[in-house]
Amino acid sequence: MYYEEVMKLKILPTNLREKERYLVFEGISEIPLAREDVISLILGSANELYGSCGTSRMGLWVVKVWNCPDLEVKSMRGIIRCNRDEIIALRAVIPTITWFRGKRVSFHTLGISGTIKSAITKFIKFNHLD
Amino acid sequence: MFFDFHIHRDHKLALEALKLGYHGVVLVSHSEELEKHHNLLKSTVDYKQHVKNASGLFILKGVEIKAKNPEDLKRKIQKFRKKTDVLLVQGGNLKINRAATEDPRVDILCYPYRSRAESGINHVLAAEAAKNRVSIEINLKYLLMNRPNQRHRVLSQFRQIVKLHRKFKFPVIITSDANSIYDLRSPRDVVALAACFGMTSEEVTRAMCTVPQEIMERGSLRDQIIVSGACLVKNESIK
Repeated sequence: MYYEEVMKLKILPTNLREKERYLVFEGISEIPLAREDVISLILGSANELYGSCGTSRMGLWVVKVWNCPDLEVKSMRGIIRCNRDEIIALRAVIPTITWFRGKRVSFHTLGISGTIKSAITKFIKFNHLD
Repeated sequence: MFFDFHIHRDHKLALEALKLGYHGVVLVSHSEELEKHHNLLKSTVDYKQHVKNASGLFILKGVEIKAKNPEDLKRKIQKFRKKTDVLLVQGGNLKINRAATEDPRVDILCYPYRSRAESGINHVLAAEAAKNRVSIEINLKYLLMNRPNQRHRVLSQFRQIVKLHRKFKFPVIITSDANSIYDLRSPRDVVALAACFGMTSEEVTRAMCTVPQEIMERGSLRDQIIVSGACLVKNESIK
């Protein structure tokens, strides 16, 4: 613990950092989903479709999940971070999510953005106003 | 303009498809259901008006024929062809696949690869499908709802169809075969998913836009065609 606090790594220079994109998705399900459920769904589906090697290349991270109150179906929106070169592969993973604990779920991509701020402005807040 | 030509008969699905970015859908009823309940096609027309008034979505009615043998298939095609806009045939059996690709009255051959190890299409059927413009369906539900350990088999079947499509130029159509809102997928997600079985974005766009439009166009001309090569032309169009 002490070692981690003292020896904190310096952030990589911008030219050496991984280039990232943010994918905004919408999910509908028969049961409410928490952030941990979304993580397990997306990582599980990516593993099934591309295997461990392909999933590791994507560098997936679920940034944030919002639950939207809806009467008929439980719907939610969220943001996933992914390496820029693998964003099409991540987009292919999204429609392969079909079941969660014996209940039906379905995910759609709303859009892709370069920053979290613009992802929220373009696809999350804008859609709430609809 | 994206189309989904295989959605089960439910107006909620049509509205959900519109939300996802589709411009037109075919609401499909099964031939067995229609033989039991004769007014089902009429109710599809009611849906059509109800949804079209609400949204402007293009809705067609379709019949999916399930036949026991080629003779049964011919009898059912004869029965349903004039009653419906789009005629689909449930494949899987090699004899049915062959009979469906040889018949120009069939619009779509649905899952010829069902319960098979290979794609159910060979060079002979591919040439027949190209000649008679019978579209071969790539069914997303078959891919997504299959067990994960069987998915590799479905992907290789799709890849085989794509390979034959590039060689013989028969039409390929991508559909969702949706029973519920959980089965629908947005068109741009489908484009990304199709890369898994080797389709380029141009090929997917053709499978979801151009091929459905061709089927609709052919359907509108079908009443005017007397025999192959002869067409009935109305007086107004001559002037």
